[in-house]
Amino acid sequence: MSEAPSPASVPARAPATRGAAGRAPGPLAWLVRNPRRVMPAVVVQALVTALVLAVVTPLTGFEATVEANIAPLSHYTGVTPSERNDFDPALSALLDANPAMQRRVRAKALWMQTPMIVGESYAMLLALEGADQADFLARIGNRLVAGTLPAPGSDGAVVPADVARARGLALGSRFGRLVDPEDVTPGRFTVVGLVEGPARVGLVDLAYATVPDFVLARIESFQVVYARPGRKAQSDAYLHAATNAEGKKAFKVWDEAYWRARTKKMLENLPTLVNAVVGAVTAIVGLVVVLLHLIAFQARSDEFALLLALGRTRRSLAARLAAESGLAAAVALALGLALGYGFLAVWEAQVLRPRAILLRFFDPYALALSAALPLASAAAGALVLAARLRRMDPVTILQRRNA
Amino acid sequence: MSEAPVLSARALSLVYGDGARRTTAVEALDLDVARGEFVGLVGPSGSGKSSLLFLLAGLRRPTTGRVLLLGRPLDAAPDRNAALRRRHVGFVFQEPFLVPWLSLRENALVHATGPGAAARVEDLARRVGVAHLLDERPHRVSGGERQRAGLLRALANDPDLVLADEPTAFLDHPTGHAVMDVLRACVGRAALVVVTHDPEMLAGAHRVLHLRDGRLEATTAAGSPPATAAGA
Ligand SMILES: Nc1ncnc2c1ncn2[C@@H]1O[C@H](COP(=O)(O)OP(=O)(O)OP(=O)(O)O)[C@@H](O)[C@H]1O
Ligand SMILES: [Mg+2]
Repeated sequence: MSEAPSPASVPARAPATRGAAGRAPGPLAWLVRNPRRVMPAVVVQALVTALVLAVVTPLTGFEATVEANIAPLSHYTGVTPSERNDFDPALSALLDANPAMQRRVRAKALWMQTPMIVGESYAMLLALEGADQADFLARIGNRLVAGTLPAPGSDGAVVPADVARARGLALGSRFGRLVDPEDVTPGRFTVVGLVEGPARVGLVDLAYATVPDFVLARIESFQVVYARPGRKAQSDAYLHAATNAEGKKAFKVWDEAYWRARTKKMLENLPTLVNAVVGAVTAIVGLVVVLLHLIAFQARSDEFALLLALGRTRRSLAARLAAESGLAAAVALALGLALGYGFLAVWEAQVLRPRAILLRFFDPYALALSAALPLASAAAGALVLAARLRRMDPVTILQRRNA
Repeated sequence: MSEAPVLSARALSLVYGDGARRTTAVEALDLDVARGEFVGLVGPSGSGKSSLLFLLAGLRRPTTGRVLLLGRPLDAAPDRNAALRRRHVGFVFQEPFLVPWLSLRENALVHATGPGAAARVEDLARRVGVAHLLDERPHRVSGGERQRAGLLRALANDPDLVLADEPTAFLDHPTGHAVMDVLRACVGRAALVVVTHDPEMLAGAHRVLHLRDGRLEATTAAGSPPATAAGA
């Protein structure tokens, strides 16, 4: 662009500033004044954004349930012998030599299922001796909200309140495979208490779970290891490193890292699938949105031809178009998120919570995927329109109408 | 006065298409228009009047020849003349081409470059009788009123060269004269070229160029019949 200095003969002139034109209508004015042109693209983008958010959040947000199951492991670590069936004196001594350990207690682990959106989730029922139960609840931050702890030797069970609600269990209800052959919990239990708190774990009595000739007796017992305050990592490291007489790893350690790795593996294929589906939807709907942009562009070709003829550069017009489609995408994104989260809030309150299905409401992954459409279509729209603009011959358009 | 002409064209020609569909719209045309000069351009339909104006504005790439604006050669590529055009050329199109979603005022200022433009548009609007319509959208005003809004836009930046393609075609006689009065008034500091089929509108023109088949056929003083010899 050769903007040579004016010859002396040309009268001095104010520099080309926006000045009075500062009030020139911007991209927002275009949006507000042309609702019928802008709405189709905005509505399509908003609806798909909401849809992706509403579908992906429950899929990935169900990790929240896994989190609740793993939560207590930040307060204790489970240990089983890696070779033998039970803790012999040597292994017990090895456990007690852990300098970071505060206390260890004998336990067994049972599971009770709760329905999920797809399949089931399992909440742990920890069998502990009577004396250890209250202490365990206090450590993991759960509290008894109804009933009592199981009496020693009884089939009483303390169950997370939301799991009980989802399973239709109340104080006095019985569950277990001896009651319902479909139940994954072995034996038979009577609900005597309900707990609430950050960790989804219930309690049963260890003495009852150890009664000989009873199916529960065959469940392997393990040790719950409590670390000294602030030394959990050190304690876990000791347990991982401890070796038995043969020089092999002495324990299998059921710590937070182990469970996290396990669930991660379980969920490994989910993002691939979700990404593929959402990617395809984004691409298809993105094409539709770009098409809508093109239709709007075509309808405005006189406007752009005129502005080019009047001396606007293609670059500045392209920037203007990019700002317009960016703004439309931002409006669509805001609208879509409001819509999506509104739907999720209602869905969670009405459907999920009564079924004890936990949801990570603001799931960053779902949020990112749902934002992909408006962002991608704004970028694609800007590029396509810039290409269109580059090929546009303003005079042909003006002359055609002039003829 | 040693000032270079606002506009000068040398050996200017424009050919559309090629082969059988080849049309010579402008042929070997020389033209100088000085500041303060009002030049009329007449000729039958299809004689190349609009094409010539587009060439003079640097909006079309000439097939041969070149145009100098304020002594500076225009680039053959129309895009490269954008800044010059915006600041120094006012173009009144045969059809007004207003942006439908902008008010008449916003349309007039759509390419405004200086702080004086808004006041100038207000003043001009009063003179052509559309001041009360400045905040209306184009579809709510008449064709003639739209045409006048196009005139405001052409003059908003106080251009050095005003090119008008049938600016009074859609106007009744009194309004047409009002528009011509405004155009003539800016001749004080600009050069004016007006295409028209209505000789009455060329009252006060210093020269009238007659175009036929892209060639400058004659030059006359306003109102007088065309001479037979090629002028210029
Ligand atoms: N874009 C184009 N492509 C091909 N030929 C064109 C184009 N524009 C104009 N022409 C031809 O060039 C010639 C001159 O056209 P132009 O529009 O300049 O005439 P005009 O004098 O302005 O006519 P009118 O008085 O009807 O407006 C005509 O023969 C026309 O058909
Ligand atoms: Mg014409």
